[in-house]
Amino acid sequence: MATAENLAEKSALRKPQKPFYFNNSEHLLRIGRQRASDLSALLQALQTVPDDCIFQHTFRTLQEHHFIRQGFSNDFAHWSLFACNEPALAEQFASVDVREFTAIEGLRRRMVEILDEFLQSHNMSGSRPAHEPFYFCAADIVVLPTAFCADTLKAFLDGLNQVSVHSIHHHFIEARLRLHRMSNDFSQWLESEIGLREAADAIERIDIYANTMEGVRRQIARIVSQSIH
Amino acid sequence: MSSDDPRAISANPTVNTQARTEVPRRDVERRSPHSARRASDRGNNRPLPASVLTPPTPPPPPHLDDYGAIVGQSQLDTLRYLAKEFKGKTIKMVNSTAVGGGVAEMLNRLVPLLSELEVLTHWDVITGGNDFFEVTKAFHNALHGAPYQLTQAAKDIFLMYNEQNRRRMQFGEDLVVIHDPQPAALVLSRPHTPAHWVWRCHIDLSNPNPGVWEFLRPFVAQYDTAIFSSQSFTQQLPIPQYLFYPCIDPLSEKNKELADSQVQQICDEFGIDRSRPIVTQVSRFDRLKDPVGVVQAYKLAKKYIDCQLVLAGGGASDDPEGATVLQEVKEAAGNDPDIIILDLPPWCAVQINAIQRASTIIVQKSLKEGFGLTVTEALWKAKPTIASAVGGIPNQILHKLTGVLVHSIEGCAFQIRYLLTHPEFARSIGSSGREHVKENFLMTNDVKRWLLLFRILEQAKGQLSQAA
Repeated sequence: MATAENLAEKSALRKPQKPFYFNNSEHLLRIGRQRASDLSALLQALQTVPDDCIFQHTFRTLQEHHFIRQGFSNDFAHWSLFACNEPALAEQFASVDVREFTAIEGLRRRMVEILDEFLQSHNMSGSRPAHEPFYFCAADIVVLPTAFCADTLKAFLDGLNQVSVHSIHHHFIEARLRLHRMSNDFSQWLESEIGLREAADAIERIDIYANTMEGVRRQIARIVSQSIH
Repeated sequence: MSSDDPRAISANPTVNTQARTEVPRRDVERRSPHSARRASDRGNNRPLPASVLTPPTPPPPPHLDDYGAIVGQSQLDTLRYLAKEFKGKTIKMVNSTAVGGGVAEMLNRLVPLLSELEVLTHWDVITGGNDFFEVTKAFHNALHGAPYQLTQAAKDIFLMYNEQNRRRMQFGEDLVVIHDPQPAALVLSRPHTPAHWVWRCHIDLSNPNPGVWEFLRPFVAQYDTAIFSSQSFTQQLPIPQYLFYPCIDPLSEKNKELADSQVQQICDEFGIDRSRPIVTQVSRFDRLKDPVGVVQAYKLAKKYIDCQLVLAGGGASDDPEGATVLQEVKEAAGNDPDIIILDLPPWCAVQINAIQRASTIIVQKSLKEGFGLTVTEALWKAKPTIASAVGGIPNQILHKLTGVLVHSIEGCAFQIRYLLTHPEFARSIGSSGREHVKENFLMTNDVKRWLLLFRILEQAKGQLSQAA
């Protein structure tokens, strides 16, 4: 049912000044030099590895596993559970929402805090060997244009429905590191170019951890469709 | 794509096989019609159906557009966009054999696809006598950790044949990719060429024989970059290392979609009852694949739940150790009529495909493994898969998300029981497993990785030139 605010928003729709260019980011995985064979080594490495390693094992890994509906959040949580058998730590790592961070440094600090606190209260866990080491990797990223460029809401919806899920990840999740603000490319464009503030907010609230990336795409499309009709 | 794909023999339009002086003896034997004297066992020695005794005519290789229905148009658009930049540029791939083995099969698909994208790709095969291939076989085993005493004579043979090939080959391409250790010393030509040089290592170097690795390492260090199949297969090197997963071809005989009627017909031929649960392991009869352990796990599970076990593979007819292992498996199976043992010739790709598709669960209980492409094949067919946490398998199976990892016979038995009694969970991990393969382990992903690497190397070169 349309709310008064929603109706007011529809009447204020405007033609965008700038089109929305759908891009896609492709990655090539580089194997890093550092590896951790226990949780103490992980803590040490978390403090020193390059930013692109932290990016890889949090933001990027979410893209790699976009099809998993539940139970996967980042590589640190996965490794803590399945290689170190530490479910409490895994839960803590898994509860970190990458979208709360607009820079890698903050995300790194949060991961270090979690592990440091855990090891202080579980001092035997630090040196217990993991079943398999944690191999730090990073990605070389190549941003590519797609064939889709939207200068109307309908064209935006067409593009949204046809680009790859990697493009959705690029604009919806990775964007905050580019924008350095708690938003995403879709919400930014819908609000600043079309005037759809409510839709932009609704898109920003989509839970990426309870959805596959296809699910995220469908929810964005539904929100935008509701704004049109 | 696994090493048993029959098209490896004929579908290599760009390979320079003239250079090959000798096909390794094992390859010849694998294609021998005598290999067809095999058996299927269901309690008793039943001969294989006549339909599998002769190799089928290989179909023509697919074109890029044929993959669109599987990976989506956007993926093909990405490949075409990436390739546009390299039109007119050339790539050379060099390995040690044109037929047999996973590398040749992968190149059989990769080379035509890159060329179709107008990135002209040549495939060259190094030459060598029996002495060279004996040395490189020993190197291969030693790099996997087998004990080996490296001698000066072995080093001399390795270097002599590499030098011969180096003098024979031209390296005028823009990107030169050397596969595996056999031709690694060709990199000595690098200073005389403008190309990027890449070493693609398909083997597990995590625990190499120190003597052999210290001998090869100075050659590897001269490349621009090295590529490995898993993070866990690497060694510390002074050059960047990238991760390229091995891939399967979704359009190959082993992996293409099959009509249910064809699956049924093949199961009928082998005496597999599709009305009851089917647990399958596909792999050659090799102790490292632990087929006896699979029989034991099945027997433990069978106490609680009705099922059949299919062990399908080859290697028993042309490998004395394989024959011994097959005998051990038969002894472990005893007279259980629900254990079906199939020693198949190497061209039975469609049959393997059908058996995998008919299976309720697929197991890969290896004790040691490379990447484990049989796991990839199972996941691609959306089958709930139980596999050992060895080699590259943890790259494919995220425990309880895309499959189940186990560490023992008892663990394997429990997971068989669990998955057979929890079909919803089994379906869910099967479905995620297929998506995982689609995302990472298909031939189109491999094409994309090569194009991305080429682009990254060109960018780095451009930056260096600018700085200079």
